Amino acid sequence: MNSTRNQNVSGDVVDAHELTKTFGEEIAVNSLTMKVPRGTIFGFIGPSGCGKTTTVRLLTGIHRPTSGELSVLGKSPVDFSKTDREKIGYLIQNFVLYPELTVWENLNFAASFYGVGLFTRHNHLNKLLDFVELKEDKGKLASALSGGMKRRLSLAATMVHNPELLFLDEPTAGIDPLLRRKFWEYFKELQNQGHTLFVTTQYVGEAAYCDLVGVMYDGRLLMVETPEGLRHKAYGGDIVGIKATEWIRYENRKKLEDLPFVRGKVKVVNDQQIEIIVDEANTAIPALVEASKAARVNIETIEQISPPFDDVFVKLIEKEDANVQPV
Amino acid sequence: MSNLFKFLIRISSFMSKELTEILRQPRLILTLVFGPFLIMFLFGLGYPEQNRTLRTTFVVEDPASLDGNMQLFTDSVSPAIADQDVEENRELALARLALNETDLVIVVPPDPFETVRNNQQAVFVVYHNEVDPFQIAYVNSVARIYVDDVNRRLLETATVEGQANAGEAQTSLESAIAKTQALKQTVPLGDTSTAAQVDDLEKDLTTVNEQLTTFRSLGASVLVNPFNVDTAPLGGIQFTPTEFFAPAVIVLLLQHLSITFASLSIVRERRSGIMELFKVAPITAIETLIGKFLSYLLFEILLAGVITFLAVWLLKVPMFGQWYHYVLAVVALLFTSLGVGFLISLISETDTQAVQYSMLLLLASIFFSGFFLDLRLMWEPMKILAWSLPATYGIRMLQDIMLRGASAPPMLLQGILLIGAGLFLVNWLLLRRRMEVQ
Repeated sequence: MNSTRNQNVSGDVVDAHELTKTFGEEIAVNSLTMKVPRGTIFGFIGPSGCGKTTTVRLLTGIHRPTSGELSVLGKSPVDFSKTDREKIGYLIQNFVLYPELTVWENLNFAASFYGVGLFTRHNHLNKLLDFVELKEDKGKLASALSGGMKRRLSLAATMVHNPELLFLDEPTAGIDPLLRRKFWEYFKELQNQGHTLFVTTQYVGEAAYCDLVGVMYDGRLLMVETPEGLRHKAYGGDIVGIKATEWIRYENRKKLEDLPFVRGKVKVVNDQQIEIIVDEANTAIPALVEASKAARVNIETIEQISPPFDDVFVKLIEKEDANVQPV
Repeated sequence: MSNLFKFLIRISSFMSKELTEILRQPRLILTLVFGPFLIMFLFGLGYPEQNRTLRTTFVVEDPASLDGNMQLFTDSVSPAIADQDVEENRELALARLALNETDLVIVVPPDPFETVRNNQQAVFVVYHNEVDPFQIAYVNSVARIYVDDVNRRLLETATVEGQANAGEAQTSLESAIAKTQALKQTVPLGDTSTAAQVDDLEKDLTTVNEQLTTFRSLGASVLVNPFNVDTAPLGGIQFTPTEFFAPAVIVLLLQHLSITFASLSIVRERRSGIMELFKVAPITAIETLIGKFLSYLLFEILLAGVITFLAVWLLKVPMFGQWYHYVLAVVALLFTSLGVGFLISLISETDTQAVQYSMLLLLASIFFSGFFLDLRLMWEPMKILAWSLPATYGIRMLQDIMLRGASAPPMLLQGILLIGAGLFLVNWLLLRRRMEVQ
C-alpha cells in the first residue's frame, strides 16, 4: 500500500484532560489525562471492563464526556464535521460487517459510506486487500471467513478511506498468537506510512510493540509510559541478573546491595544467581562488574533482565491496589 | 470531490448493499415473486364461481296432512338445496345435523293447508349447525328463498286451478250471454226499459267473460310474480371473487413485504453493532435513510412489476385503467409501507419484536383495510384506524384503477403520500437520535 501520509506533521493527535464519563452512578472513565503524539502506536492496556472501550468511544465522539476536556485532531469529537470524521478510522471489537456480502462487497460498502471516489476505488481496494493478504479471498462471503480473516477484513474496512488516526479496539482479541504478531506487523507498517494508531488490548505482552503505553485499571489511567518505562515503574528500576561461577556469599551480596545505584534488596535466585534492581542498567552493569571483582565474585554472565509484561502489569496493579488500600 | 458527489456515493452504499444482500438469496426472490402469484392462483382455484350447496333433510312428521302434496314442500328448485331427503322423525334429523351428515333440517309445519285456511301463517322451522356469521346469513337467505319458492308454487297451483275453474265459469257465462241475446229478441218493441236492462245485462256478462278470458290467457307464474328484478353493474362487467380480490391481494402483499424488509433492516444493524461504525463515519441519518429507502423501493417496484405481470397476463386479472395511474399508486403505497417498516425497525429492540409488529400490522390490514369487509359498514370512529393503514388507500386506488378503469382518486393519493412523508420525517428524527452522541 503506498498511501503514505505526511510524516512531517507533528504534535498530539489526542489531548485529554481530566476526562470523565459516568453512566448513572457508575464511573466508566475517571479523570483521564493523556496525550497521544502524532505518528505513534499508542497502546491502551487493561483488563476487561476497565474502561478501554468507553475511552475509545469518547475519543471517537460516540459518547459525550461527563466532564473534562478532550481534543482529537484539534477538535472536540462531539463537534466533528464530516471532514473531521474522514480523518478517523475505527475498528470495532466485534465483527460488524455483513456476513451475506463478499469480502469485496463489504469493502466496497465501507468505501461508499466513507465517500471514497469511484474512479480510484478499484485499485485502492485491491491494494488494501493485498495489504491484509485477502486478495485471493475477495469473492468469499464474509460468513465463510475464519475469525482471523474477518479481523483482517475489518482492518481493511477501517483503512478504506486512508484515515490519519486509527482507533483499533481490541483488534487482536480471540485470535492465535501467530496472527496477533502478524497484526502488529500490519500496525507497524501503518505507522511507517504515517498513521497514528490508538490500540486497545487485553494482551499485556503486546505493550512491547507500542511506542507508548497507557495502563488502564478500574476506569483510571494509571500511567502513560514507554514499554521500558513501564518495567522501570513496576519494579522501581531496571533489573540486572548476575550469574557467578561459584556460591555468592551473604556478605558479598550485602556489599552489592549497599551500592548507591542499587534499589532494595538483592533477590536470590539460587546459590550462584542473583537479581538486582538498579536505577539505570546501562550505567549500573559496569559498576556492578567492578564491585563484584572487588568482592571477589567471579561473574559468569551479567545482563539486563526484561520481565514479561504480564508480570509487569501484575506488579503495577499490585502497587496500585496497595496505594488505594484503606488506612 | 464535491459534497453532492460524496452525498450520492454514501447513498449508493446502502443501495448496492441492500440489493446485493437480497439478490444473494435466490430462494427468497423466487418465494417473493411466485409465492404471491401462487396464492392468487390457488385462491381463484379454491373459490370457484359457485355458491355453497346445502345437504338438506325435510322433516314431515304427518305426511297425511299434506293431502298428497308432499313434493310441493320437499322438492325445492333452489340450487343451494341439494341431496334432499325426507325424514319423519325430527330428533333423528337433528341428530344427523349434529353429526354433520346433513347441513340443513327443514321442518314442514303440521297440517299446513288447514292452518292457512284458518287464516294463519304456517311456519317452517329451519335448523342449521353453523357458527360463522356469514354462513348463518347465507342459511337465512337460502331458507327465505325456499319459503318464497314454496309460497310461489302454492300460489301457482291455486292459480292454475282457478284458471281451470274460470274455464267452466266461462262456458256458463257464454251460455248466459246467448240466453240474454235470445231474451232480447222476445222483448216487445215499445218496452224500452226492459230492452235497456237486458242490454246492460248482456254487456256485464260480456265484460266478465272478457276478463275471465284475460285471466285464463296469462301464465300462472306471471300472475303470481308479476314483477321481477335485474341488477346491472355500471361498467357492464360482473367480476368473479378472484378478479375482485386480486387488487387487494396485490396491495396487501406489497405492503407486507415492504414492511417486513424495512422493519428488519435497521434493527439488525443496531443489533450487529455496525451502527456504532456509522456514528463515527462521515455518514448522516438522512443519507442512511435515503439510501435504504431507495434500495428497497427499487427492489419492491421490480417485485410489484413481476407480480402484476403474472396476475394480469397469466391469471387474467382485469386491468381497465391506465398503467401510469397504476404505477403511481403502487409507488405511493410502497413508499408509505417502507416508512411504516422503518418506523418498526427504529422502535424495535430485536428482530423478533420487529417481525411481531409486522405480523400485527398485516392482521390489522386484513381486518381494517376493507380487504374482506366493506369500509362503509365500519363504525365511523374506527375508520381513523382504517385510514391510517397504507393498505386501505392502496386497495381503494387499485380497485378503482384496475376494476373501474378510473384514475386513483387524488384525495387518496395525497393522503397516502402525506402519511409517507410524515413517516419519513419521524424516521429521520428517530435515526438521527440513534446516531447522535450519547
